[in-house]
Amino acid sequence: MSLYLYIFFGLTGLLLLLLFWALRKPRKSLAAHGGMSLPEECGCRHTAYLPQIQQALSKVDYDFVSQKGSRELLRRFRRERRRTVLAHLAGLREDFQNLLELARIVAVLSPEVAALQEFEKLRLTWKFRWRFERLRIAISLGNVRALDVSSLANVVSGLSVRLQKAIKEIGERAALASKLGSSFNGSGIHPV
Amino acid sequence: MIAEFQNLQQALWVANIAVAVLLLILVISRRNYRAFPAFALYLLTNTALSIWVFLTYKDLGFTSRFSWWFGWSMQAVSVGVRAVAVGELCKHLLARYRGIWNLVWRTLLLSAAILLIYSWVATKYQWQLAVVRAQRDLELAIAAVIVGVFVFMRHYGVEARAADCFMGLGYCLYSCFGVINNTILERYLDQYVTLWNFLEMLAFLGSLLLWSWAMREKVPEKAYEVELLPEGVYRTLTPELNARLESLNESLKRLWYPEAKQP
Repeated sequence: MSLYLYIFFGLTGLLLLLLFWALRKPRKSLAAHGGMSLPEECGCRHTAYLPQIQQALSKVDYDFVSQKGSRELLRRFRRERRRTVLAHLAGLREDFQNLLELARIVAVLSPEVAALQEFEKLRLTWKFRWRFERLRIAISLGNVRALDVSSLANVVSGLSVRLQKAIKEIGERAALASKLGSSFNGSGIHPV
Repeated sequence: MIAEFQNLQQALWVANIAVAVLLLILVISRRNYRAFPAFALYLLTNTALSIWVFLTYKDLGFTSRFSWWFGWSMQAVSVGVRAVAVGELCKHLLARYRGIWNLVWRTLLLSAAILLIYSWVATKYQWQLAVVRAQRDLELAIAAVIVGVFVFMRHYGVEARAADCFMGLGYCLYSCFGVINNTILERYLDQYVTLWNFLEMLAFLGSLLLWSWAMREKVPEKAYEVELLPEGVYRTLTPELNARLESLNESLKRLWYPEAKQP
């Protein structure tokens, strides 16, 4: 069999795999979100626990346990801290996913979408996934820095606040648009 | 042996025509031609051409040069109409989301064009195989477009009705099979041609059954209306969001310190 036979077989196989993946029932559909009711649900729940996480990761606590506690206690302390950071990171990822989902809904419901922005979002998502996985593995192996975890949380939190503000504005504009639309009763004036 | 195989092939041909006619009746009786006019046209064209080609082969035989060229020309017409029907399905699936539809159709058209050029360039140029190759490339582009539209829908969380999924599956499986079949045919032209015809008809029968399942109920002519956001919201929000995602990525990057302290 020549090379191009393999190429076409491979392409066809890849297309079929992609099709069956795409046809699987999605975890969340647009209809399931019920349009603009999402903002209330997509708050960054996990960033609320940031002070506790910071406390759990504080150097003072670690030094205290390493000086006063036994080796067994220190080992357990490190294990528990690692588990907590991993759980917190998973939570941050969940927050990130929620915000991304919101961004998708905005794109789907927009009359105009810019290809560059969409591909940029896709690129950033893959980059985030790649870095997140590397980080998760690193923490599982024992590397963690409290300060950076908090900065990560701050970014997610900031993103949520800005988006919720923007969504509130959208809601107000949409309400205004429908009000204007009904006042002019389709006389050809664009409401916004 | 060959004569028996050709009889079997003719029987399958007749079966295909019968199923296609039944499907056409189903499409008309359920008034699904309103939702899928290009699909109805494809069925009509394909059935008419199949009968015509069948009669030509029956009169002149499978080895006649005229039959060969006539069969291939009709095949080209059929694939062309199917490409239009696939475009119609894509529009049916996504057109109500105006923004992403504009993005999707441009992207898919560009991908299909790149794929067509690539697959033409990737293989050695031979005139006698031009028709086989052109059909294969077109089939590949059709399959890529169908897969592409469903991937976009999954990415944006847009759910398709079961009938639309079956339609897409029918088109894609038939096209994928066409790619494999034509690739083998191109390589082993003489030994494979009878089997090629048979397998192609078998694949078409499978697709007809999938389409029949999709058409068993009335498909709404017009999908439900979606109330879109005011213009400008996307332009304001998305660059902001992307900038935030970028900074989040930067934070993750900063977290990656191999020399980090042990917890």
